[in-house]
Amino acid sequence: MPLQPPSLQQSCQMKRSVPFELFRYAAILLALAITLVPILWMVSMAFKPIGEWSATGAELTWWPKEPTLNNFRFIFGESTSNLIVALDRTALKPILSSLLSAVFGTAIAMGAGTAAAYGLSRFGSGQNLPLALIQLRLFPPMAVMIPVMIMWAFLGLIDTWWGLALIYGIVTLPFAFWLMKTFFDDMPREIEEAALVEGCSRWRVFTRITLPMMRAPLASAALFVFILNWSDYLIALLLTTREWVTIPVYMASLSSSMTGQLYGAKAALGLIAAVPPVIMGIAIQRHLVRGLTFGALKQ
Amino acid sequence: MTMATLPSTLAPAVPADKPENESARLGFRLTLPAQILVLFIAVFPLLMQLYISLSDWAPLSGVEWWNAWELWNSFANYSDLAADTRFWSALWCTALVMVICVPAEFLLGLALATLFADDFPGKRVFYSILLMPMMVVPAVAGYMFFMLFQSGGPVNDILSALTGRTVAIAWLSDPTLAFIAVVIADIWQWTPLMFLILLAGLVGVPDDQIKAATLLGANAWQRFTTIVLPKMKTIIIIALAIRVIENFKIFDTLFIMTGGGPGVATETISVYVYKVTTQDLIWGYVAAIALAILVVLSVVAVFAMKRMAKARELAA
Repeated sequence: MPLQPPSLQQSCQMKRSVPFELFRYAAILLALAITLVPILWMVSMAFKPIGEWSATGAELTWWPKEPTLNNFRFIFGESTSNLIVALDRTALKPILSSLLSAVFGTAIAMGAGTAAAYGLSRFGSGQNLPLALIQLRLFPPMAVMIPVMIMWAFLGLIDTWWGLALIYGIVTLPFAFWLMKTFFDDMPREIEEAALVEGCSRWRVFTRITLPMMRAPLASAALFVFILNWSDYLIALLLTTREWVTIPVYMASLSSSMTGQLYGAKAALGLIAAVPPVIMGIAIQRHLVRGLTFGALKQ
Repeated sequence: MTMATLPSTLAPAVPADKPENESARLGFRLTLPAQILVLFIAVFPLLMQLYISLSDWAPLSGVEWWNAWELWNSFANYSDLAADTRFWSALWCTALVMVICVPAEFLLGLALATLFADDFPGKRVFYSILLMPMMVVPAVAGYMFFMLFQSGGPVNDILSALTGRTVAIAWLSDPTLAFIAVVIADIWQWTPLMFLILLAGLVGVPDDQIKAATLLGANAWQRFTTIVLPKMKTIIIIALAIRVIENFKIFDTLFIMTGGGPGVATETISVYVYKVTTQDLIWGYVAAIALAILVVLSVVAVFAMKRMAKARELAA
């Protein structure tokens, strides 16, 4: 048995009754079913041949009868005999766009956020940042997009992955800042102080001692921020038009008046988009609470 | 050097050759990039937004935005806003989604969290699976539910199996049913967030008081309402605040499922602003709407911030 996290009732040594255990498993199984049905439906759809996509007039199939990889081949531009249409552009560039903008957006947020968090945590600089950044988080993106669109057009950043990366970096800066601030606040200062006494400059202490020690929290925070950036739809919808549309924006183009919704192709692309954040999210499960509550709550 | 033996309660030991203001200077430099980004995205754009909101400016009006004063319309945007029925209906729709989704997510999340409070076989695996929806890209989740609610889709299939009749409801083209579908999608995706936060809070409730209450003969329900819930008050407020804030922005899932329709049945504030921005292109007016929303939310932000600071004090 792997070690279990500590729990509320353990030390009370209470014996739960059999009916309660039955009820618990029944309730959890129901929750699992509700959780998994939408996900599994998409997974199943991604491997269905075109004949099984739509149930209109046909039997609804829950699991592909003739599993195929044609949907994946199709979105990457390989013409497959059973799909009538050809794509004018493949999913490759949107995937690249999502990846580049999310990665560099994460780099911007983490770079500025980590530095500022350290500055505030150790030197008390930037007292205005906590509130300013929470407000930034609070605003619906839609309510600040007019000036952003004007600025981005002025700077020639519309429809570029670097323009997206810049706005992503700013939008997720609050999360990077708050996460790193709570990590720095929790970190014991004795080692830093010892290094200062040994004659290191404060900058050297930060780059040579603090940052290497914080490698694991930094990685968790970066993954958290990456998930947020990768999940964006609205901003990319407004700031990209054709060349550098991201996966969710591109997805809408996978329907045509001729074929209607290309269910299988969309599901295949959806699966590609959904897998990385789910894996990363499970990997950083321990820090999710801290990240989502701006450090107000630690797990 | 013998200074390392100083008790750590003394302020950071700074050797004489290091100027005191080295930390202040470094602190300033470290926070500078974040400050610039905040200025770049918050302060300057807000002023720009305020300026534009006082005019009839639009991207196609043939005037650069900084010359928007030529199109000054003496606060007409703001008086238009008060009379804009579509704006108020969008606000109403947003509020309706919120008062249904947030309590539902809270109660379901709390119920699940209590089921997970003690150990049982399979806990970790179930926990990980139950958290999955919140990690799915919202746009993809929107597409999942778009598929599920097709008239020949699995939801109707399940209903057919349950009722024994052929159910072929066109969920997304009926105003009420489309609204219900959108609400279900939001609850599906964000109950895990409530569950995650509330479980963390639940596990943090100190054991000794519960043990004492048990010895005194309190039953599970009494222990829950008189000890656990009051102890979790701050966490509950934080969890609710986060969902209220995020739910107010609702866009991705909903927009992909219904596009705000049929008609304006599921048109929330974000969808409305998006449509006015991209279709009607009256950006001066959009800026006025956006500013009105921002002013209200800023008040909420200050309130939420105080709450969170208090929570951190309690946690420390």
